[in-house]
Amino acid sequence: MTAVWRFEAIGTAWEIETTDPLDDTSRRTVLDVIDAIDRRWSRFRPDSLVSRAAETGGSWELCASDDRLLRFYDRLHAATDGALTPLVGRRLADLGYDADYTLRPSATPAAVPSWDVVRWDPPVLHLAAPVLVDVGAAGKGFVVDAVSRCLAETGHARHTVDGSGDLLHAGEWPLRVALQDPRDHTKAVGVVEVASGEALAASATDRRAWGDGLHHVLDGRTGEPTRDVMATWVVADDAMTADGLATALFFTRPEDLARQWRFGWVIMKADGSVRWSRDLAVEVFGR
Amino acid sequence: MSGLTTTEERLVSLPRLAKPLMTAVAATAVLTTAACGGDSTDAAGTDSAETTDGGSDAAPAPGGDYADGTYAANGTYSNPGGTSEVSVELTLEDNTVADVTVTPMASGTSRQFQDQFAGGIADEVVGVAIDDLDVGRVAGSSLTADGFNEAVEQIKADAAA
Repeated sequence: MTAVWRFEAIGTAWEIETTDPLDDTSRRTVLDVIDAIDRRWSRFRPDSLVSRAAETGGSWELCASDDRLLRFYDRLHAATDGALTPLVGRRLADLGYDADYTLRPSATPAAVPSWDVVRWDPPVLHLAAPVLVDVGAAGKGFVVDAVSRCLAETGHARHTVDGSGDLLHAGEWPLRVALQDPRDHTKAVGVVEVASGEALAASATDRRAWGDGLHHVLDGRTGEPTRDVMATWVVADDAMTADGLATALFFTRPEDLARQWRFGWVIMKADGSVRWSRDLAVEVFGR
Repeated sequence: MSGLTTTEERLVSLPRLAKPLMTAVAATAVLTTAACGGDSTDAAGTDSAETTDGGSDAAPAPGGDYADGTYAANGTYSNPGGTSEVSVELTLEDNTVADVTVTPMASGTSRQFQDQFAGGIADEVVGVAIDDLDVGRVAGSSLTADGFNEAVEQIKADAAA
């Protein structure tokens, strides 16, 4: 692929590779797709639906296309025994990861509400309490999938969408991807080959971190940041699934998740050890 | 449908089988194998429909008469990834096993499932410079927004002051 378009959206860097350059109309369409999802789901913008819903709770109309995301969260919540929940939003904000990037924890961060306060009756989300929803675990993968569909619809069937950490590859040949070492970003701990039609998600606690053991992956059962796992990578058939499972691996063993999902994985623990699944085309630089 | 292969391992744990199948002793001899039971198993053995021909497979069931008919039961077996389940359907004619079908149940029985957990482990990874690798992309934690990075720098500055 020859054309690369780089831009920033939803607080991170994006790169889209296509065979032919994207014209202005196609670019505008892609940005609109991202923005539409951001307006519903971003807890970092005060005008988003989840920000407004967090003020009052109650019933909020979303889109039919959000069904996929909410059902996935429901399954992830069950598969991780409640560790992975989108209701960590308020607590994350209270710990300092808020819309203003305060990055200083409040003295009494809110507890993580029970999953029961949420009821999804497509396309309406009912919140029995004013809770702040955070779809950080799978939301970006969800956006990557939407961008990929948009590209296909605008005549760019062959493409690679790289949303920085979440990648969907629909190119002609497999793509070799370096697994970035969270301890040193100039290095890789391995290389994985992503086939056309596959997605790769990376999750690590090295960047969205702000001191004293605080980072963005919280265990919904304790409200505390995770400790054992340093980074995870997942290859799956779509970016949302890869993204959510990469986060779920911080809490739950891959063999347990594999009862419900088909995916390849690499897990790097805090002690620098790495495990990976055999059905993955991966080379790990270990000893 | 899996082909029944002829490795030694017993596939089905008998106590979990339903009554009718328990009595068909000859059947257990047939139910060897294919520890993975999935479609991906290499079918070195015969296909189920052919198990009527000769060999011990078709030996008369010892110890009495059994009503002709098709019997079904579920069984479990252990593999490196945990416990997997298969459904077994067996047809008896004149005290002989005429047909056996073993079907993996839902998830957890495929070869792919097993392979997931027969992967590798490295006690310590040694990072290699990305510049030295032949790769098209890099996958790590998402780059953070400028605002986040500035806030972190501000905190560091405040702490140092």
